[in-house]
Amino acid sequence: MQPVEHLHLKHVLQTVCVLEAVVLRSFGPEGGQVLFTRDTGQAMLSRSGTRILTALRLEHPLARMVVECVRKHSTVTGDGSKTFILLLASLLRMIHTMACKEPNVYHTYNSRAAAEAATARRLADELLAFALEELDDLIAVRVVPYGLCVSWKDITAKSQSPAYTNCHYAQKLLASFFHTRLGHTHCDFISNLTCELLRHWKFKNDLPSSTLQFVNDNFPALHTPVLGFPISCSRLIEGQVIHRDFATPCPQTDCQPVKAVVFTGYLQQKLLSAGNVLKVGRGGQEMEANSKKEKSIVEFSAWSERSLECVIANLQRLGVSVLLSAVKQTAAVLSLAAQAEMCVVECISKDELSLFAHLSGTTPVSDCWMIEPVNVATLTFCRPILLGVHRYVHVAFHDLEERVKPCSLVICGPGEGQTDQHACAFQDAIRMLLTTCRPMVHQPSSRVRWSQAVLYLLVGHLSFS
Amino acid sequence: MMSRLVKKSPSICTDLPLDDTDICTISSSQPLVNLIKTSILNHVSRFSDCGLFAAILCLDLIEQAKQSGLGGNVSVRLNKHLLSLCTSYLQREDCGCKVKLDFCSSQNLVTLARSIISSKPACVLTEQETLHISKLAVQAFLLTVPCDNPGTVTLGRTVTVPVEGQSVLNSAVFPGLLLDITDAFCLSKPENQNSNPLRVVLFSASLAGDLSELGDGIIEVHPGVDTDSQILDQLLELGKQAVKDEVQLFACQKVIHPVLQQYLRSQGIIVIERLGITLMEPLIQLTGVQPVATLHTALPAKAYGRVRDISVRQFGSKTMLHLHPAGESAVCTMVLCHRNETMLCELKVVCQKAENVLRLSLKEPSALLGGGCTETHLAAYIRHKTLHEVPESALGCSQTEYRLGVERFCHSLESVAAALEHNGGNSLIDLTHAHHWTLPADVTRGHMEDSLGFCGCGLVGSSPSNKWTYLNTKYTEFSPATLSRDTTVQPRVLDSFTAKLNALHVAVETANLALDVRYIIQDVN
Repeated sequence: MQPVEHLHLKHVLQTVCVLEAVVLRSFGPEGGQVLFTRDTGQAMLSRSGTRILTALRLEHPLARMVVECVRKHSTVTGDGSKTFILLLASLLRMIHTMACKEPNVYHTYNSRAAAEAATARRLADELLAFALEELDDLIAVRVVPYGLCVSWKDITAKSQSPAYTNCHYAQKLLASFFHTRLGHTHCDFISNLTCELLRHWKFKNDLPSSTLQFVNDNFPALHTPVLGFPISCSRLIEGQVIHRDFATPCPQTDCQPVKAVVFTGYLQQKLLSAGNVLKVGRGGQEMEANSKKEKSIVEFSAWSERSLECVIANLQRLGVSVLLSAVKQTAAVLSLAAQAEMCVVECISKDELSLFAHLSGTTPVSDCWMIEPVNVATLTFCRPILLGVHRYVHVAFHDLEERVKPCSLVICGPGEGQTDQHACAFQDAIRMLLTTCRPMVHQPSSRVRWSQAVLYLLVGHLSFS
Repeated sequence: MMSRLVKKSPSICTDLPLDDTDICTISSSQPLVNLIKTSILNHVSRFSDCGLFAAILCLDLIEQAKQSGLGGNVSVRLNKHLLSLCTSYLQREDCGCKVKLDFCSSQNLVTLARSIISSKPACVLTEQETLHISKLAVQAFLLTVPCDNPGTVTLGRTVTVPVEGQSVLNSAVFPGLLLDITDAFCLSKPENQNSNPLRVVLFSASLAGDLSELGDGIIEVHPGVDTDSQILDQLLELGKQAVKDEVQLFACQKVIHPVLQQYLRSQGIIVIERLGITLMEPLIQLTGVQPVATLHTALPAKAYGRVRDISVRQFGSKTMLHLHPAGESAVCTMVLCHRNETMLCELKVVCQKAENVLRLSLKEPSALLGGGCTETHLAAYIRHKTLHEVPESALGCSQTEYRLGVERFCHSLESVAAALEHNGGNSLIDLTHAHHWTLPADVTRGHMEDSLGFCGCGLVGSSPSNKWTYLNTKYTEFSPATLSRDTTVQPRVLDSFTAKLNALHVAVETANLALDVRYIIQDVN
């Protein structure tokens, strides 16, 4: 039988205190960064508690459990993971001190350790009961009156307008968040950028949380990291940036509007899939007695090309000049498209294509033989854009009234560590705003959820010993 | 307490705050070095220049900040504030260290190219060779700027052809494309006596007789049927059409079937195969050809391109086909020669960097004075400007701390200038224009004025009225005088404005980032 390790209260405390020490120096506005490096040379910079703890890849089961709790909490709220660890460590320390001072006297235990554990469990149960029954009311009466109400309008209103005096607080909320994540040098700039981004994406007649949810879900397709520039070069650009380059030269036409079609499959269908058999013969017109007329291989190949030409002709008829493809097309497709003055972009990721389809209000083509007007997107322009050392495709949508003004975020930074950090901070800020804007009625507050998690943890662990 | 966790977990955590010793001895703090190195490399990949400047400045700023005893946060805020002072000064029209590039004469451009090429010593070039290569770089750059198209301008391309074993002075630039012809063949002299342009066709699909796009399945062939010859017949049909349409140059990105090649050559057509993907775009730009990838359709008329002439050039053992552009074209070829392969590779990289910097100068037609003069000039300006300034409350520091921070920042700038001197000499600054001068180590004080010729950038000459002081000594703050715009004296060394400005930003930001790191965790798996 495997030796069973007894987990004593002080081991639990030790483990959590180590985690606390790791995140402590990044905590708060004066906190610094943690630089995490691997042997591969890859570096990660962070002030985010979740990222730091997750990157440690701990093996100790207790530590892993704590980190998992932190991660789950952060996925929902986007913030507060360091606070969680600090609170947890502090609670454990207090329980430990109290349990050591007065071990339970009216039950008999085998050892002092067992007595301490029992006391600790009792204290944890009491704390849990308090959290579930009394904490909410206490917060509502004693804490909420000192707080501020932040509404959606505040976040997206322009700060110069005197009517919205509350927007000052909303932008302060974002600025403080970025201060703790990115440091004080760029927090104001970045929080302004975030507000501007949200302003552009405001869907009219829609709930604010749906905008935030949309930006959160589509964030990978909505931002472009650019290396080698200072952070202050980060900016918003209108439309969408597709992170691929043109496969055929982009025709220099200024005519508007530009029509585009999205393809998820191949334009030149492979006639022969693996497992099928193609029988070829002499071909031609002669009919031999007692033999089936079989086409020659050249005729098959010619048929394949002709069907491709039909597809391209159909696209030309519809006035399409941009083909966006999820897969790599054959050389014949590229050459015929170039001759028909269409430009092709290949190997676009699924996220970006679904965002494109959503913004243009079209569906991708599933069958090349059936290309209909509902598949044709209308764009204001489609042209190459140079960001850093990469050339990408920049599209802007014909704006229709009920739609938003889409924009894309360019995040600059001297190195990949910084751009990663900024992108994560942006996304966490969106999540944090989502939690803030969600109505508080009939929902246990996140603070209670924290405490619940903490105490379940303790109670669960002390039953080991 | 810590060790227990270390045994169990795969990561090693150093539970020590980032010490002064860690930062000052940069070589031992490996992760930080990698961080700085990545930032610099990213800057260089975009701007091609001033990487070393950024690296030295960054490291010096970190060292100065730690030695000064100012709190990390204060140093970071001060650095950012002083950086914005530098940027606003450099972007002013009357900035004393900025030179407007004059595109009407090639002199500035050649100086700029020369500064870049001579700053990379691994090519091992003599003075004469450096000048020759700089002129070629500017010539190639100018050839890629199209003159006749109104509207949006797209820059052309320079294709580089390396030739090993020849003298550097044999390098040359040609408008048009030079293509390698592997076999000394077979070029039946094209008697192009008439001035008609030659017709070109280009295939992007393979003409070797494999029909790969049919699919992955099994092909069952009827006995007695020869699929290869069926395919070959189709290819020969293509060849016949090319002959009928009077194509004179038949090119393919991939392989051409030997029988087809033989047929085309027998009809007097020049055949080039295996061009490769890199030459496709320049060839398309040069000839206006539209690549064909279909084998069964008739060649459309608008797929043809043209060249004015084709000639043969010899470079040592290499035979090349020179395609002359019909009309104006923005494609040119630079043939680079050098004695051995390593130096040749370096030279190729250096020429690409020079081209990149020259292209950047189209966006921002300014250059900064080289030779350390911009750095000393900036330092003097900052010292003077902040002399009577009271630090704003947003900076969160006292007057003493402010002056200390300014002093350290300027000291960093000056040590970058001093780092240019490799021969153990001394660096000086003049007290009128704040330019940088170097003095060989063996010159005594009395003979100083005689030995100083010109300043680092070559604009200021030594004269009896000038006063100098060694760079590390304290001098009374003065406002550096701008030079009179005397067009007869041109600077000898110039740096790209955009590259240097970006390098300054990247250096300060990376230094601030390093100062902000409180904890390093190394994963040793």
